[in-house]
Amino acid sequence: MKKKILAMTLAAVMAVSLAACGGGKDGSGDSGNGGGASGDGVNITIFNSKIEVQEQFEEMAKEYSEKTGVGVEVYYSNDTVAAHMATRYSANDPYTLSMVDAKDVYSLAAEHAVDLSDQDWVSKTNYAISVDDKVVGFPVCIEARGLIYNADAIKNITGKDFNPEDYKTTEEFAALLEELVAGGMAAPTAVMKEDWSLAGHFLSETYEEQPEVEEFVQALYKGEADLANNSKWNAKMDTFDLLLKYNYAADSPVAAEREVSEQKLAEGEVAFMFGGNWDWSMINAYEYSENMGMMPLPQTATDGTNEKLVGGGSKYFFIDSSDNTTDEQRQAAKDFLNWLVSDAEGNAFLTEKCNLVPAYSNIDAQSLDPLSLSVKKYADEGKLIANYDYLPDDHYSKCGASFQKYMAGQVDRAGLAAEIESYWSSTTPVEH
Amino acid sequence: MKTNTMSYKCKQFAMFAGVTTVVFAAVVIIPFLYGLYLTFTSWDGVSTQKPFVGMANYVSTFADTAYWQALGRTFIYAIIAVILVNVVAFILAFLVTSGVKGQNFFRAGFFIPNLIGGIVLGYIWKFVFNRALVALGESLSAGALSTSLLATSGGAMFCLIIVSVWQYAGYMMLIYVAGFMSVSADVLEAAQIDGCTNVQTLVHISVPLMVSSFVQCLFLTITRCFMVYDVNLSLTKGEPFGSSVMAAMHVYNQAFTYKNYGTGQAEALILFIVCAVIGVLQVYIGKKAEVSA
Repeated sequence: MKKKILAMTLAAVMAVSLAACGGGKDGSGDSGNGGGASGDGVNITIFNSKIEVQEQFEEMAKEYSEKTGVGVEVYYSNDTVAAHMATRYSANDPYTLSMVDAKDVYSLAAEHAVDLSDQDWVSKTNYAISVDDKVVGFPVCIEARGLIYNADAIKNITGKDFNPEDYKTTEEFAALLEELVAGGMAAPTAVMKEDWSLAGHFLSETYEEQPEVEEFVQALYKGEADLANNSKWNAKMDTFDLLLKYNYAADSPVAAEREVSEQKLAEGEVAFMFGGNWDWSMINAYEYSENMGMMPLPQTATDGTNEKLVGGGSKYFFIDSSDNTTDEQRQAAKDFLNWLVSDAEGNAFLTEKCNLVPAYSNIDAQSLDPLSLSVKKYADEGKLIANYDYLPDDHYSKCGASFQKYMAGQVDRAGLAAEIESYWSSTTPVEH
Repeated sequence: MKTNTMSYKCKQFAMFAGVTTVVFAAVVIIPFLYGLYLTFTSWDGVSTQKPFVGMANYVSTFADTAYWQALGRTFIYAIIAVILVNVVAFILAFLVTSGVKGQNFFRAGFFIPNLIGGIVLGYIWKFVFNRALVALGESLSAGALSTSLLATSGGAMFCLIIVSVWQYAGYMMLIYVAGFMSVSADVLEAAQIDGCTNVQTLVHISVPLMVSSFVQCLFLTITRCFMVYDVNLSLTKGEPFGSSVMAAMHVYNQAFTYKNYGTGQAEALILFIVCAVIGVLQVYIGKKAEVSA
């Protein structure tokens, strides 16, 4: 009998310990933090997909909770946004508010997003995303791609103030690079080897700068577009070849690490890198030079594309419409979005704390970082070429791999064009 | 008390294995069956609809050349890594049981890499291959070393194998150490008296008596190598140009990044079957070779 009791007790202990291990809602690999529950209030969860503002979001969540009584928890994931959304939705555990990329809004909105057409902020922005005539995506900020320059590093060698407008064509740019090398800068450029940078940002500009973007992409799907003889493609690649030739890691370009490239750029060891204003979050980790900025990618063009950055609204909030979210949570999420746009504190959070270029006409921003100031300048002048938001999900990784082959010298330009063409013609068109 | 009735047996089972069975079913059996069901749907991972498509995912799996390339790459990686891990682990185990000075210290030292998580390990070695070795190569002006190994397709695979060996050899060494210790001193002494040399003792006495250690180590290394993901992700991320994407990484990309959940699941199932067949076969053959003293 004693043995039996002992056995029962042991089994009970084991069961309890198992239950204790299994308890607690957990998203593996996510970091959750925030205000926690408040007395009467609703609790909402926010998914943040911009690592550089995660701390600011966590801090804001605490303050926001104290002020409004709405519990806010902020999450981040190292996964790609689409993959993370997929795991959360397949686990029936979506966030109340999710910050995603434009393409994710298009793929998720029809089934999972709340109609926000009646919100006040809709009239204050040109960048909101609508699906089926309903506004569903709240633009968080404006981001743009272009050539990042370190004006101080250039001035040190040329002795003249650097004026980006003087270098619009490949030839002018090449002459400057030559001058920098002659002046003692061993390698004036850096090239990121990350697939999202190569294919997601650089290659996609080739599509985005076509006179008829949608037509061109459809032609690519059908296998009818002649990339190798496309003037835009060749103009871009001429500049890319230049960047590659003067690249500090020219010996082994696919081994370049992003951290090293950003550091060299920040400290003026190199003068140029193709990137976007989000790169500031890495540049400011180093001893950065005072005068930096972004300029359009120099290229031989007559259509004005070498006078504009490529970009627009970036990162969109949408509110979950599934049964996993209550109406109270949805209302709290809408209030939060309104707070960002209409409340002075919300504005300050976006522009001062997070350093984001506002996508709303009523928000003024003076104290942005240098790259964001460049972006704001081009945006205010209407010199932004719109993003193409309907690239297939595997575009950046597959075409990025082809681009890396090009960098490593395994294919030539014609071979790269052929690989990209064959990628497109073997891919199912994205419906939109 | 009758102990051979059905109800007694059921109660006994429920008392001792009930909780475990429920948990095992909840976290292994049910997800597995659900996953099996998903291979027959064209679910994208986020949609509320899961349209039934029959065998279409298996058809696209067989047509997915990138998957078969990744699987082939995994085979090559696994074969080389399994052999190297076990050879190194066995030699280490032999050395640290042969009575060298401070052998407990060495045992702990060799085991430590296994305590570092695969992701961290990947980043550490990335630094070694990308910076430390390159800096060394430049200062010695040795041409081959001055560019990063990780930038070439063969080099990336080579790095993966090195890191895996470094990671697992210590762990497998412990199992081999246990095997060496389990060989009775009587038998070894008898062999010595009969005139065996050290090598003969090792080959004809110790090794046959510790076959179960080999079976365990091979099983562990084979399954781990086939399922490798963490080191793959943090060390090479499949780069350069997708030439180091292993099967597990391809499955993950297919399911979550390219949003073909059903196809990804079907590919995962095939990977599972491959692993299971190899693992079971190897254990079966190994068990046959076991002898008892």
